[in-house]
Amino acid sequence: MSLRFIKAGMQTSIQDAGRIGFMHQGIARSGAMDPLSLQLANWLVSNPLNQAAIEITLVGPTIEFNQNLSIAICGAEFELTLNDEPIFNHETINVKTGDILEFRRLRHGARAYLAISGKFNIKSVFESLSTHLTAGLGGYEGRQLKANDVVELHSTKEISGRSLPEAYRQSFTGSYQLRCCHGLETERFVRESLDAFYHSTYKVSNDSNRMGLRLEGQPLSCNTEKDIVSSGLIQGSIQVPPSGLPIISSVDGQTIGGYPRIANVISSDLNILGQLKPGDKMSWLLVSRDKAWQHLQQKQAFLNKLLLS
Amino acid sequence: MNVPENIKTNIEWNGDSAVTLSFETKTGEGLTRHILSLAEEFKSAFPGMISEAIPAYQSLTICFNALLIETDTIDASLRQVVDNHITRNIRTAASRLIEIPVCYQDAYAPDLESLADYCKLSPAVVIEQHTQKDYLVNMLGFLPGFLYLSGLSEQLHCPRKETPSLKVVAGSVGIGGNQTGVYPVDSPGGWYIIGQTPIAIFNPDAKEPFIAQPLDKIRFVPIAVEKFEQLKSEQT
Repeated sequence: MSLRFIKAGMQTSIQDAGRIGFMHQGIARSGAMDPLSLQLANWLVSNPLNQAAIEITLVGPTIEFNQNLSIAICGAEFELTLNDEPIFNHETINVKTGDILEFRRLRHGARAYLAISGKFNIKSVFESLSTHLTAGLGGYEGRQLKANDVVELHSTKEISGRSLPEAYRQSFTGSYQLRCCHGLETERFVRESLDAFYHSTYKVSNDSNRMGLRLEGQPLSCNTEKDIVSSGLIQGSIQVPPSGLPIISSVDGQTIGGYPRIANVISSDLNILGQLKPGDKMSWLLVSRDKAWQHLQQKQAFLNKLLLS
Repeated sequence: MNVPENIKTNIEWNGDSAVTLSFETKTGEGLTRHILSLAEEFKSAFPGMISEAIPAYQSLTICFNALLIETDTIDASLRQVVDNHITRNIRTAASRLIEIPVCYQDAYAPDLESLADYCKLSPAVVIEQHTQKDYLVNMLGFLPGFLYLSGLSEQLHCPRKETPSLKVVAGSVGIGGNQTGVYPVDSPGGWYIIGQTPIAIFNPDAKEPFIAQPLDKIRFVPIAVEKFEQLKSEQT
């Protein structure tokens, strides 16, 4: 029972919801960059929502199945084929031994999640199967997958098909408005910089990865009279290093940072970070914490509705 | 016990799901003990709601599951925990002295000469200065198992390298700014590398993956190349 990678793609790795509770030892959360798409793909194959799946980035893999099982793909939209016949996101698909799944051209978004109705035969490291790529921890030998890797499976089953209701199908346009709240050091930024941040458009840089997303656009400046003392750096923090160009900290980011933070992406929008690709355009909308909490509750309620359906 | 009293504590939101407490007092063993004890206090005051408690030199960042907190009363509850807290001698506060063997010989110390030049010291004095002090572990962070140490001799303070190295091997011992430390895993880095330890300071497969915890003391002990090779071979 296994998956064989004929081609690996650009950055393909095993990810679940990440490791929680180890940041004080320097271990970042890691895990899926778009946890919502991970959950939706798992739902389609009747898995626990946060089970490990394959995260696929920008250029997808070609995979041979050595077992009959059910799969589902959510998140970024690629041209997909199974034995050269087109297949689509958001549906449960039954595959047979010898079938070949090919991720071809990327149409929208940045990361797709391939969930399978079975479990990966890999061991949990710090309570998660996620691959922490910068630390070489967890997942498949602590690294992204390479051609000819064989990922062993267990507890596979075939399940009856599902289709994701239309309302849950996300679309990734390449142009986003992300919502954020004040960050720890927001007050240190000069008025002009705050205006520039909230009223201009930024572009996602090529130099973006699972550690952080770098933005290009209006440089920002902040009062540096008082030194910033390094403190806990959490996912979604928008740091401004001396270059003035913001960096959004992400799942594999460092756990302690020393650059001022102009804002933090709100929790309910964090999953979108996983779908930003180089060249995408984005702007920022400041919301209150109360609003941010409301958005999070609504998002969870919406997901719960799917689980009960 | 060296515990600071009545520390002025600011509580600020760090986005919508975390707060950072910052402490207006000098860094050191007393404050670190206070921070660790406060982290435990938060975990028991908000059972099941806290996902991370990240200590730093002068701050503690608490991450919540924002779906579970009482948003109307959270600010008051946080303040209450801070104001009512009395630093306890928590379990993790037992300080150990941990010796880390370091080979400062040329092959393992690519930047020792340039650091010595910058500090206007001989390499031998740099080594002496680096090994004669015990360093306090303030916190772990940045990379898995990386130790933030305080106590570096002022004579060894230096800026970071202008061009960071793309790959610094695990075990490299470096100096950057007013900090010294050991790279726990291979990574890019901007510190001057003055030596290397043959022992793993982070081993995810071990029962105790981390060589030290906050409040432990670290002492670097110079070793010869032969000893380095011997210890290195015993590791694998």
